[in-house]
Amino acid sequence: MATERAGTWLPEAGKLELGSCCGPRMLSPERLALTDYEYLAQRHVLTYMEDAVCQLLENKEDISQYGIARFFTEYFNSVCQGTHILFREFSFIQATPHNRASFLRAFWRCFRTVGKNGDLLTMKEYHCLLQLLCPDFPLELTQKAARIVLMDDAMDCLMSFSDFLFAFQIQFYYSEFLESVAAIYQDLLSGKNPNTVIVPTSSSGQHRQRPALGEASMLEGVEASLFYQCLENLCDRHKYSCPPPALVKEVLSNVQRLTFYGFLVALSKHHGINQALGALPDKGDLMHDPAMDEELERLVVRSRLHRTSRQHRAQEPGTFGFHRRDKLEAPERVPSASAPTPSPYRWEPRE
Amino acid sequence: MIPGKYRSVSGRATNNVNCGLHLVIQTSSLPEKNKVEFKLHKETPSFPGRLLQHDLERNYSSRQGDHINLVSSSMPSFPILQRSSEEKILYSDRLTLERQKLTVCPIIDGEEHLRLLNFQHNFITRIQNISNLQRLIFLDLYDNQIEEISGLSTLRSLRVLLLGKNRIKKISNLENLKSLDVLDLHGNQISKIENVSHLCDLRVLNLARNLLSHVDNLNGLDSLTELNLRHNQITFVRDVDNLPCLQRLFLSFNNISTFESVCCLADSTSLSDITFDGNPIAQESWYKHTILQNMMQLRQLDMKRITEEERRMASVIAKKEEEKKRESQKQSLLKEKKRLTINNVARKWDLQQHRVTSIAANQDRKDSDSPSQDPCQVDGSTISAFPEETGSLDSALSNALQGLSVTDTHLVEVDGDTLSLYGSGALESLDRNWSVQTAGMVTTVSFTFIEFDEIVQVLPKLKIKFPNSLHLKFKETNLVMLQQFNALAQLRRIDQLTIDPQGNPVVSFTLWKYYVLFRLSHFSMQKINGTEVTQNDMIMAERLFGILAHVASSELPQYRLISILGDARKKQFRYLLETKGKKPGVVSEENNDSKRLVGENTNRATLNYTTRDFYNEKLEEIKEKKKFCKMYIEDLVKEATEINMKNEALQKLWPQMFIELVRDAVIEIRNKSSYMKLCLQQITDQK
Repeated sequence: MATERAGTWLPEAGKLELGSCCGPRMLSPERLALTDYEYLAQRHVLTYMEDAVCQLLENKEDISQYGIARFFTEYFNSVCQGTHILFREFSFIQATPHNRASFLRAFWRCFRTVGKNGDLLTMKEYHCLLQLLCPDFPLELTQKAARIVLMDDAMDCLMSFSDFLFAFQIQFYYSEFLESVAAIYQDLLSGKNPNTVIVPTSSSGQHRQRPALGEASMLEGVEASLFYQCLENLCDRHKYSCPPPALVKEVLSNVQRLTFYGFLVALSKHHGINQALGALPDKGDLMHDPAMDEELERLVVRSRLHRTSRQHRAQEPGTFGFHRRDKLEAPERVPSASAPTPSPYRWEPRE
Repeated sequence: MIPGKYRSVSGRATNNVNCGLHLVIQTSSLPEKNKVEFKLHKETPSFPGRLLQHDLERNYSSRQGDHINLVSSSMPSFPILQRSSEEKILYSDRLTLERQKLTVCPIIDGEEHLRLLNFQHNFITRIQNISNLQRLIFLDLYDNQIEEISGLSTLRSLRVLLLGKNRIKKISNLENLKSLDVLDLHGNQISKIENVSHLCDLRVLNLARNLLSHVDNLNGLDSLTELNLRHNQITFVRDVDNLPCLQRLFLSFNNISTFESVCCLADSTSLSDITFDGNPIAQESWYKHTILQNMMQLRQLDMKRITEEERRMASVIAKKEEEKKRESQKQSLLKEKKRLTINNVARKWDLQQHRVTSIAANQDRKDSDSPSQDPCQVDGSTISAFPEETGSLDSALSNALQGLSVTDTHLVEVDGDTLSLYGSGALESLDRNWSVQTAGMVTTVSFTFIEFDEIVQVLPKLKIKFPNSLHLKFKETNLVMLQQFNALAQLRRIDQLTIDPQGNPVVSFTLWKYYVLFRLSHFSMQKINGTEVTQNDMIMAERLFGILAHVASSELPQYRLISILGDARKKQFRYLLETKGKKPGVVSEENNDSKRLVGENTNRATLNYTTRDFYNEKLEEIKEKKKFCKMYIEDLVKEATEINMKNEALQKLWPQMFIELVRDAVIEIRNKSSYMKLCLQQITDQK
């Protein structure tokens, strides 16, 4: 039984890997270099198997009623669809890149309407939205994401949905990678790298300022090419997911110097990286989800009927909901994606 | 004239008709020839124990034959009075000069023995020319224009001085009139009682219709039995308790509005007749019984006899008043206690929230000198509603009396339809057996200074104990996340929700109202934070969060749906079990409830809230399970990979093995005859 199960799910696991760069399972040289167990662990198959059994244990009474085979089918189907992370604990959500991508996608799908409505929200409010999907989502992560969008001293400012979402995507999906990058950046700043002559700046708080294009701020941040070398090196040996090195190179290739947050902003605004990650649509299409919109229209109509049938409140049927609705009913306009954010960017990526 | 005066005069005249001095004053120059007869009855000083009464009767009956001639004297201004000797003999001791249009007192010669002198209804402005009449007992200057009391210092035997209806502003120059018995100063402009303390024989003092604003300086009037103070502007009365003989006091038509301003009357032992009519005080509902209760010695009030029945009523009412007063004092004590308790709870809460300010601490320190931990019960208007509490209310009061510094850790209050809970300890009160009546009446429940997570745990109980609660109020409850509102969905019904921004950061979010409307849409709420919910709001809420609910309900795998909904049910079950022991009936009802609820809004039911503690517990549990699963899977996978490895090795080996086997077989049968021999041998061996 055990053998069979392990064997059965192997191809599934291969499909699961997002952004996987290896070939068919048996012919992969990496595959041959690893033991079976290591391979399964590296591909996170074990994670899902463990979780499946754990879920089974958790709900054994309910599940035994409709069959264990059915449960496993559903479980792995939902893993494929990315719906397995809904309302799960944070430790599971961040356990695999696929889970992270699924969470990002779920967040986008569920709260796209908030962005579409054009509301600008604070970091805390976005955090609350995240917590609706994952009750123990750590505040720290949200704060870090907000810091990409906002200046340090303006953490209470309002952010547009798209700004926050793309920053959050980078921060959440690549969080281990970014930690390493931060360490490298600090090393470079303090001149630890033997190849560089960097004028060290006294406090790290200053590095987060926007590097202007003028000469005056030329000495801020680190030199881009050197930074790239270090990052390339990091990508090679990093066991967590990193953005594709080619794209990182692209980001870094057209500036001389940049700061850490400048780098993060650039990453978050890069279409290629977003595409490589595959969780979210392009920025232009961020508010676009016709299937869901259709579903929502149905829900709204139903709730209206529901309410009017239950309540006999006297209200002319023709007037309700118009001033806000006409804005909503033009999905092509995408109000918040193009709306200017109140917070200044530190670094403008090239178009 | 003043009715009171008449009454007192006529009431006693009959007793004394034949005694004492009889004075008849005749006037002759007036056409109608009035004869005024005065009877002055005077108790001799040798009978001090007897009740002194002033009896004065004025009898206006016409008489003929009085002749008085006023002759201009040689002096320029004063007329000189002369009477015929006949008349002198007839009325040797009295002289009546009524309505003579006199502007000054005439010089009265040769009448040293006069005892009664009457100048009523003239225009005299000054008392003059009578200092020689040293035997004068009765002097009547009623209705003149006298502005100052003067010229009387020699009239030492004067007993009756009538100065009514003049223009006197000040009581003065009475120093030598030590035997004065009756002093009538009514209808003047006197604003102050003064210079009378030496009149120790004075029995009657009439100060009606003056300008008195208060009554005092009454010391020394040791014989005063009647004091008329009607029609003044008196607001308070003092010193009356220093009048040992005072029996009748007329205070009608003044400005007395409280009993406190005349409370000295209660200390007078002799007072038997009093009037207050025409005062603000007489309009009060408590007037009669308060007076009667405080002045037990009274026999007449406002000219009416006081009956035993009235007295009894008064004492009953007074007792009730007293009780009421005690009750109100109790109430105010409790109010104060409530205030202090709330302060205390607030301080504790602040400490708990790590945001206590030094000012608040200082301010409250003196209140909390002797903190006690026992809970306090304050009940507003519904004391009768929970009988088991009435006993402890008294003890609560005595606690409060011992010192208001007693502070408590929480407070429960029922005021009309509102149940207010302060401090987390107050939540325990939901375990109490509330009377059906109280519980049914409560429609508003307000939570202050309580962690929301703690409130969540009592919500199932709240639902059972106060089925009619429609309006929930939260203040200082640490509502920080939208998901916390999920917890409210388990209630039976909510019409109104009030979240005070104080201590509830969630209110600062732009989306919180819409989320509440969305999540609690099955309640069809009327108001949030006092603002009417409109159809637009509902649609907006649906637009913002509808997809979330849709995703949650349609995309969750079946087993997850079941487990989440089951969790919610289990959680409620657990809260109930933990807090109130097993009650199977209630629990099953509970289950039905949540099932019904699930049916109502399935797509929303997946959005529920677990309190921090429970969630952490659950995470711990999951961790344990994960550990187990990890080991289990590890073992399985290792076993599987091992088998796989063996299998692969076998697969690799198998072709070679097969060849080898075939080769062995071929070699064995290569020598046919020897092989046949061998076979035959084997067969024979078997046999």
